[in-house]
Order: sequence, then C-alpha cells, then structure tokens
Amino acid sequence: MPVEFDYSICEGCGECDALCPGDVIYMRPRGEADPVNDNLSGTYDHIKKPKVPYLKYTEECWHCGSCRQDCPNEAITVVFPPDMLCM
Amino acid sequence: MKMFTMSADVLVIGGGLSGLNAAMGAAENGASVMIVDKGKIERSGSIGGGVDHFLAYLNEGEDWDTADSFLQYVEKVGRGTAHMSIIEKTYCEELEDSIERMARIGNPLTQPDGSFYRTASMGQPGPYWINFNGKLLKPCLGNAVRKLGCKALAKTMIVDLLTHHGEVVGALGFHIRTGNFYVIHAKATIVSTGNTNRLFENPRGNPFNTWLCPYDTGDGQVMAAAAGAKLANMEYMRMTLLPKGFSAPGFNALTGMGGRFMNGLGEYYMEKNHPAGNKAPRYEIVFQSLEEKRQGRGPLYIDCRHLNEEDITHLKTTLGYDKDTLPDYLEQRHEDLATDPVEINISEGMQAGPTEVTGSGVKIDGDCASNVPGLYACGDAADHNRCVHGAITGGYRSGKSAAKFAAGRNFFADPDTVSTEERADEFIAPLKRGSGYPYRQLEDSVRRIMQENVGPMRSEHGLNTALTKLTRLEKHLDDMKVEDLHELMRSQETRSILEVGKISATAALYRKESRNKPYHYRLDYPETDDENWCGLVAVQKSGDAYECSFDPIKYVA
Repeated sequence: MPVEFDYSICEGCGECDALCPGDVIYMRPRGEADPVNDNLSGTYDHIKKPKVPYLKYTEECWHCGSCRQDCPNEAITVVFPPDMLCM
Repeated sequence: MKMFTMSADVLVIGGGLSGLNAAMGAAENGASVMIVDKGKIERSGSIGGGVDHFLAYLNEGEDWDTADSFLQYVEKVGRGTAHMSIIEKTYCEELEDSIERMARIGNPLTQPDGSFYRTASMGQPGPYWINFNGKLLKPCLGNAVRKLGCKALAKTMIVDLLTHHGEVVGALGFHIRTGNFYVIHAKATIVSTGNTNRLFENPRGNPFNTWLCPYDTGDGQVMAAAAGAKLANMEYMRMTLLPKGFSAPGFNALTGMGGRFMNGLGEYYMEKNHPAGNKAPRYEIVFQSLEEKRQGRGPLYIDCRHLNEEDITHLKTTLGYDKDTLPDYLEQRHEDLATDPVEINISEGMQAGPTEVTGSGVKIDGDCASNVPGLYACGDAADHNRCVHGAITGGYRSGKSAAKFAAGRNFFADPDTVSTEERADEFIAPLKRGSGYPYRQLEDSVRRIMQENVGPMRSEHGLNTALTKLTRLEKHLDDMKVEDLHELMRSQETRSILEVGKISATAALYRKESRNKPYHYRLDYPETDDENWCGLVAVQKSGDAYECSFDPIKYVA
C-alpha cells in the first residue's frame, strides 16, 4: 500500500488523518479488521486513543509524504506500488 | 445536516502557498481572515510536502541580477503571455518583503550559513533559482497565519461564490466529514485554489499521480467564472518532464545542477537540437522530448553521472525537498543518480501557466483584482502569479488589496442567488440518489476527450469535437451517484474539471496560431503570429456559453 502504518509504534493521535491533503486517511476503531487493507499486524494494547489510522482511498494517495513527515512517532513508511516501480 | 453562518472581512478560498500568503497580507493589513481548505493548511496544496526553489533577482551586483534584466527574461520566455506591468506590481514590488517574510516566519530561503544557493536553467541569463529547504514552509506559514488570528476551516470544500448585484460577497462550503454547510459572508474574497489537475489522461494510468496537487481541480477558476470573472491563458496545456512512473517535481533541481537529456540511442538530444541545450525553456524541452518519443527514440533519460560528488550529494538532498518521497522512489526503483541515467517521461497535461513566470487562471490586475468587485485571485489560480515566487509575492499582494477593499465596506451584503438551503439540497443530491454513475466514470471521459482533442496537437475540428462531447457529457453530471461525503467532494471536482475543459477548448479554438509549443499547438495554424496574437485570450461566461476577447501585449522578440 502507498502508505503503511506500523501499529506497534502508532499511538492513534490522528494527525495523519487531519493533515492528509487528499482526505484519504481515516480512523477506524482499534482492534477491528482494516476494512480496506486487511492489515491486522500487531496488538493494540499500547494505543491509548480508541482509533487507529488506515488508508481508505488507496488509489487517491498522492505520495506527498506529509503523513510520514509529521507522524510524531515515525510510524509511517512509504511503499510505492509495483506498477509505478516497474513502469 | 446543519448550516452555520460565519463572517470575515476577507475570505481566502484555498489554503495553499498563495492562500496563506494572502491571509498574511490581509491580516497584517487590518482584516479579519477566514481560510477554507479541503485539507489542513499546514500540509495542503502543491507544495504541502515541501519545495526547493524560488525564482528571484537579488541585486547582488551582476547585470543579470536586477529587476530590469529579470523582466527582460520574463518577457522573452513569456512571449506575450503576461503584462510586464502586472508582473512588476504583483512580483517585483513584493519581492524584497517576501524574502524577508519567509525568514521571519521561520523558513528562510538561505542556506544554514546565510548565503543564497543559486542555480540557472530554462534560458535564464543568470542563476535566478534560489535553491532552499522548504519542507517546513507550509507548517511555518500555517503557524504564522494562526498567530495572526486568522481562522482556518479544514476539510471544507467551497461549492459556490455568493454574489450580490454583481459583487462577490462570500461563499458556501460544506464539510467533508460532517456534511454540515457553511455560509461565509465576506467583504472581499480571494480565490487561491491552484491550477487544474486530473484534466488530461495520465501516462502513469492513475489520475491522482500528478505533478501538482491532484486535489486542485480548478474549483476556484470555475466559481470565479460563474460570478462573471474573466479568465486568461486557459488555452495552454502545461506539461513537464518527470521521473518515469512517478509524477514528481525535481526538474528544476536536475536541470539546474547540469543534468543532460539523453534518448534511447545515447544521444544528448537537447544539446543536439537547441542552442540553449539542456538549459532551454521547459516548453522547448517538452516539445523536443515529445518529438523524440514520437519518432521512436525512447526511452528518455536525464543523465547526471558526470556531476562531481559534491553536486550529486546536493542534488540527492534537494530532490527530497521538492518531493519528500522522490528519494524513496529512486531507491525502491534501484536507480542511483550518480551511476545510472534516470528514466524520465513527459507528464500529464494540466491547466497551468505556459512558463514558470507567466500563469493561467483568473485574469488579474496589478492588485490581483479580478473584474468582479470583491473578488481577487492569486497563485496558480490567477493568470499572473506563477510558481513559488508568484504565489508568495502575488499572494501577499492579493491579501493587502482585499484588506483595503474590505476596509471600505462597512456591512456584509446578503447574497442574491438562490437560497443557500436550496443550493445545499441540490448539492447533496448525488448522495441521496438511488442509483447513478460513479464520478470516476464521467471524469475518465473528460480526460479522454481532452487528451484526444485539446492535447499537445490541436485543430479546429478536434477542438469543436471536444466542446460538443463535453457539453453532451455535462448533461449526465446530474446522474452521478456517490456513496459518501468524500465521493461527493470528488464528484464536485469532476464538475469543475469538465468546466475547465470547456473553457480551455473554447480559448484554444479562439487562438488561431500556435504559441509556446506544445502547450498550444494548432496544426491548422502551426506558426506563432506575434502580429495578431501576441497577448492574452480572455474567456468570460455569457449566459450558458463562454465568450472570448483578446488583450494584446506589445512584445518585440
């Protein structure tokens, strides 16, 4: 996925959701399956806030990297999709 | 769905680089300010993630480093696409203050040692490009405007401008998460919504993989036109060169540091075909690159292998300023600037200025005012403020002008358009509809029509076909169905994109010559005709159609 969240580091602050220029990151209740990315890695006991981010509109991600830049916990990595890399 | 009413002296629609400078200009000149953005101002717009270049003369002593020399360069490259008098007012007069303003808000344009790092490219007589680290420019500006007391509405899309007896008196917006509406009364309104993207087919396949912000879809231009504003330079389809597969900026840095354009036969094709070689104006490089591809001499590359270690290091660092994720991209693609020629391609087309010094959009005067009282424009949404330097200087200028206009108004006028409740109901109809077309389907159609007929090669037949098809497609916009508020926003963007398409084709049809090829290349009028067509084509709404007029500019090559 263009942007991947490491839920073992994420604390659910919601800043990435707030600042994404394209409104493509949303919050979901922690512990639930990621409705879009099916990403259940890690447990969430360390997350104090009730929600965690996920990439809801994956195709609309601009790869601006702002979420990664501003994540206070450096929990976001940018992974380019194979069609871009192999074009 | 709730409706809230708010008011401010100055409303800024679009909180990008120019919008935030406009907000500063208004606030520092006594106005109360409301900024509205579809994102959050700290990271919204085309340079939300960072930027690395600012075009300027600095009067440091050399001949080329003066306002006169700079304007001569603008005139030469602009080739009749801007009035020098307006560039003088909106850029030159604001330049010194603007450079100082960037420093005082916490993001100076200088290097850590206090000097300016300057490079030349694109036909410049001297190194006008200031290279700097702008990764925190938007956060610094966001902080500055909030400290000045400006209010910022995030995740809010403006739907319409509100007018009263031909004046703009505010706007109607909706919140992308809550669905609430905002009626914002303003004494002066500034449109700073950037250029129009997602307008042409994207060689990368994904319409959101764009050079400038894909969420900038001409909303402001279209609203301004609906309120009676003239738009100019809308016929130009801007293109640039980018790393293959990723529509990322970085061209300035690569050419500025001395990158050489190479084709699949190993020929340095710009050095072969143009007197300025790799430092030729962007449209010349795009034109030649298109030719190389057309004639089957791709793939195309930018070759930086000859640069020394210090330059390569600087380049690699700088690329991350202009696009935060570009170094990651090259790494994940196993491409190293130092040892490999990096594959490039021509970008998607977009509605934007035909050069890096002349713009496209709402037609403004030296105070950034449109022809509609109460309506201003700046940045890429305006015709005279191009690029980072134009956004910062012109933005501030528009704020000052708007504040002055607002100071002369001691009341908020009621809008005389259809009731805002009715408009809100009409706006959310795609959400309530039982079935219909996904916005993406219609938007893909717009891109196909534009690419085929309003693309890098045009003709009267093609342009008329574009208008016929876009008009036909337009009738189906009311058949769109969306699943949620986010898609509702996208469907509204689709409407703006289609409208810009119509405006663009109309202007392209009117200009019976070619200029800044391939940005406006008429196969039926392939030569540049300075005698008859040196100047701006202005487009204005007249009933349901658009009418063109010509604003001549005297220019001697």
